[in-house]
Amino acid sequence: MDDAVSTPVVDMVDIVKVFPGVRALDSVSFSVKSGQIHALLGKNGAGKSTLMHVLTGLYNPDSGSIRIRGTQYENLNTARAKEAGIALVAQHAKFVPGLSIAENVYSGMLPVGQFGFVDWKKMKRDASDRLGQFDIDIDVTRLMEETTVAERQMIEIARALFADASVIILDEPTAPLPKHDVAKLFEFVRRQRERGASFIYISHYLEEIFEVADHVTVMRNGTVAGSSPVKDITQPELIRLISGADVERYKREGSSIGGAVLEVKGLTRPGAYSEVNLTFHGGEVVGLTGLEGSGPGELARGLFGLETLGEGKVTLNSVPYRHGSPIAALQQGLAYLPRDRHGLGIIGIRSVRDNVSLSVLERLEPLFGLINSAKEKKLVQDYIDVLGIKTPSMSTAVENLSGGNQQKVVVAKLAATEPKMLILDEPTQGVDVQAKVELLRIVDDLSKRGVAVAVVSDELSELMDICDRIVVFYRGTIIREFRKDRDKITTAILLAAIEGETVETINAGV
Amino acid sequence: MQASKYIPTLLDHLIWVILVVVFVFFVFQSPVFLTSTNITNILTAAAVLGILVVGQTFVLITGNFDLSSESTLGVTALFGMFLIVPATPPYWGGGIMLNPYLAIITILLTGALIGYVVGFLITVGKMNNFIVTLAMLLILRGLMMAFTQGKPISGLNFEPADVYFWLGHEALFEIPDVARIPLAVVATAAVFGVGHIILNHRRFGRELYAIGGNRNAAIASGIDADRRIRQVYVMSGVLAALAGWMLAGRVGSIQVNLGDGYIFTVMAAAVIGGISLQGGRGTMLGALGGVLLLSTIDRGLNLMRVSVFWVKVIQGLIIMLAMFIDAQRVRYRTPHAKASVPSAAETSNKTA
Repeated sequence: MDDAVSTPVVDMVDIVKVFPGVRALDSVSFSVKSGQIHALLGKNGAGKSTLMHVLTGLYNPDSGSIRIRGTQYENLNTARAKEAGIALVAQHAKFVPGLSIAENVYSGMLPVGQFGFVDWKKMKRDASDRLGQFDIDIDVTRLMEETTVAERQMIEIARALFADASVIILDEPTAPLPKHDVAKLFEFVRRQRERGASFIYISHYLEEIFEVADHVTVMRNGTVAGSSPVKDITQPELIRLISGADVERYKREGSSIGGAVLEVKGLTRPGAYSEVNLTFHGGEVVGLTGLEGSGPGELARGLFGLETLGEGKVTLNSVPYRHGSPIAALQQGLAYLPRDRHGLGIIGIRSVRDNVSLSVLERLEPLFGLINSAKEKKLVQDYIDVLGIKTPSMSTAVENLSGGNQQKVVVAKLAATEPKMLILDEPTQGVDVQAKVELLRIVDDLSKRGVAVAVVSDELSELMDICDRIVVFYRGTIIREFRKDRDKITTAILLAAIEGETVETINAGV
Repeated sequence: MQASKYIPTLLDHLIWVILVVVFVFFVFQSPVFLTSTNITNILTAAAVLGILVVGQTFVLITGNFDLSSESTLGVTALFGMFLIVPATPPYWGGGIMLNPYLAIITILLTGALIGYVVGFLITVGKMNNFIVTLAMLLILRGLMMAFTQGKPISGLNFEPADVYFWLGHEALFEIPDVARIPLAVVATAAVFGVGHIILNHRRFGRELYAIGGNRNAAIASGIDADRRIRQVYVMSGVLAALAGWMLAGRVGSIQVNLGDGYIFTVMAAAVIGGISLQGGRGTMLGALGGVLLLSTIDRGLNLMRVSVFWVKVIQGLIIMLAMFIDAQRVRYRTPHAKASVPSAAETSNKTA
C-alpha cells in the first residue's frame, strides 16, 4: 500500500477531550487511508480507547474536527458514526449465543416472507452467500455459541462490511485467540484490505504490527507520540515511543532490606500458576511481571482472598497464612491495591473520609461503639497531607477526584491498616504522569518504613525505577528473577524474558 | 456550571423545602389544619410508617429492597393477638393466653426470624432480593388469610390486650383537649434517633453505605458484606414487628389486610427523603422528612375532603415525582453523565 496517493477515509484533527482532572486527548490528529491497516498502539490510559470512543460517537470531543469519507461531522453520535461507515469489532464480539449463525448475521433485519413469517430458507441461503463473498465457508445453521472466537470475529467483520462499513476498528482481536487462529484472522483481514476496507488495529503485541499493519501510530499520555509507515520503523523504536523513556521518572535510592515477611513455597493453582517460590522481605520492593494471565495478577488476587489460592505453603511473619477472604488477609496484615480501581478500589459516591477510614473503623470506635469523629478526621487529614491527595475537602465524593488522586485514596485506605505486606496491582494504571511519580514515591516511602511491597505491573520502566528485584512470570511459572544489585536490567532484557518464547511461537506458526 | 454545583445539595435537602411549602398550603386550605389535635394526628399516622421506613432505609442503603415488611407487620401483629387471647368465642386465638409481655417479645423475634430467612436466601442462596422479598410478601399475606379465614379479631377489652395495645394507644403526656403526645410518636422519634446514630456514627452504618456504594470494593476493604446484608434484613423484620405491635394498639383490632399496600408508601417516603434505590446514599433525617411529608399530604387531603380515589392518584404522582428526583440525583452526581459510559471505560482495566 502506498500511503501517499490514497485519500483519508478517517481524518481526525486536533481532537481534545478533557475528563475531570485528566486531559485524556490533548490535540490528537489521526487519519486512516483507504485500504490501510493502521495500527494504534499505546499503554493502557494512553488515550487509544478515548480516541476510538470519539470516532465511534460515544464521546463528544471538546474541540477538534472529524471527517469521515470526506464529510465533516460536528455532533457525531453512535448512530451517525455507524451510518458514516465506522464499525467496532470488540475482542468478544456481540452475538446472541443461542441463535444460529444465519440469524446472527441477519440480526434486526430477518427476511420476512408471506404472512409475515420469517423466511428461513431464504435467510439460510443468503447468509451463506454473503459470508461466502468474504471467503468464510461455514455451516450457517450452527449455533453461534459453537463457533470459535476467531470465526466469530470474522463473522462480525463480514457483518460490518456488508452493512457498508468502510473503517473497521479491531480492538485487541488476537488476545483471546490461539496461535493458528491468529494467522487465519490476519489472512482474512489482509484479503478484506485488498478489497478496499480500512482497519484500525489496536494491539499490545508488537510482532503482530510488523506482520499485518501498513502504518502505525503510537499514543502516550493523551498525545500522539509518533506516527510512521511500518516499513520505516523498528521494534525498539516502537518500544521507546510507547514507554516514553524521556518522561519524568521516579528513582528509588537506597534500601535496607529486613527479614522475610511473606514466604510462598511450592504454590500451585491449576490454570493460574504452578510451583511458585517467592520470599518478600521487609523494606523490599519486588516487581512481579509477565504477559496478561501469566500469573502475577492471579497470585496477588489469590493471596488477598479474592480468588482461590491453590495448594502450597504460605507463611506471614513465619506464621502459617490463613487465606480465603480479604477480611482474613487484612487482619493478618496483608493489604492489596486492586488493578480495577472503579470496580474494587474506590467507593466513588462516598466521601474521601469514608473511603480512607473504611478498613480501620473498628480501631476508631472506642467509646460506646461510636466512631471517634475527631480521631477519624485527624487520621484522614494526615493521609491527605502525607500522600498529597488533592481534594477540595475530605467530604468530597471520591468519584469527583482525578484518577491519580482516587488511587491515592485507595493507597491511604490500605496504609491506614498498617500492613506488613502490601501488594499493588498495576498501581499507576490510568493516572497521569505527575501522579505516577508521586505514587511511586509513596510506594518507596512505605517500603522504607519496613513494609514488604510487591508491585504487579507491566510498566517495565517503572518496575526498573522502583524495584529491588523483578520476578518474571511466563505461563504461570517464574522464568527469570533479576536483582537490581546484581544483574543488568534493561527493557529489552525484561521484554525478552516476558515474551521471548511468544515471539518464537508466533513466527513458527506463520 | 457554577449553579449546577449546588443542585445535588439542593436535591438532598429538597424534602424540607417541599414539606414547608405543603404545610403552609394546607394551613391556608383548612382552618383546622394548624391545631394541636391535627398535628398529633399527623404524627401518629407518621409513627407506624416511620418505623417501617427506618427498617427499609437500612436495607435500601445496602442496595437491596425489602418488599416483605408490610406483610411482616401484619403477620406479627396478628400472631401477637393470637397468642394472648383465649380460643373461646367471642375471641379467636390459640387459647394459650400467653403473658402479653412474652407475646411482644415473641413477635419481635418472629420479625427477626422472617428477616433472617430473607437475608439468608439472598446472601447464601444468591437469590434476587426483589423477588425473594416479593415472594415473602405474598407468602406471609397468604398465611395470614389462610390462618384467620379472613375473620378479624376485634372488641378486645380485657387486661392482657391493654398491655398489648399500650404502645399504640397510650400517651406519654396529655392535657385533655389541649395537647397530647402519643407514646408511639415518642417511640418512633427514638427509633429514628438510634437509626441516625447507627448509620452515621457506627462502623456498622458506614459499612452499609460502603456496601451500597460499591459492594465489591467494600468486600475488598475487609467488610463481610453478606453478613451485613443479613443483619439489615433482621433489623427490618424486627422493626416491622415493632410497627405491627404499634399499629395493633392504634386500631384496636386486627384485620386480615392490616398493613396491606403500605410498602408503596414506605418506598415513596424513603425515596422522597433522599434514600437512593441504587444504594449507598441517603440519611435517616432525609427519610424522616419523607415520612412527615407523606403523612402531612395524606392528612391535608383528608381535611380538604378530597375523594379517596383522587388521593390514590395523588399518591401515585408523588411516587413518580420521587423517582424523578432520584433519577436527577444520580444524573447530577455522575461525572460525564452524557453517555451512560463513564470514564471508567477509559481508566479501568480491560481484562479485569
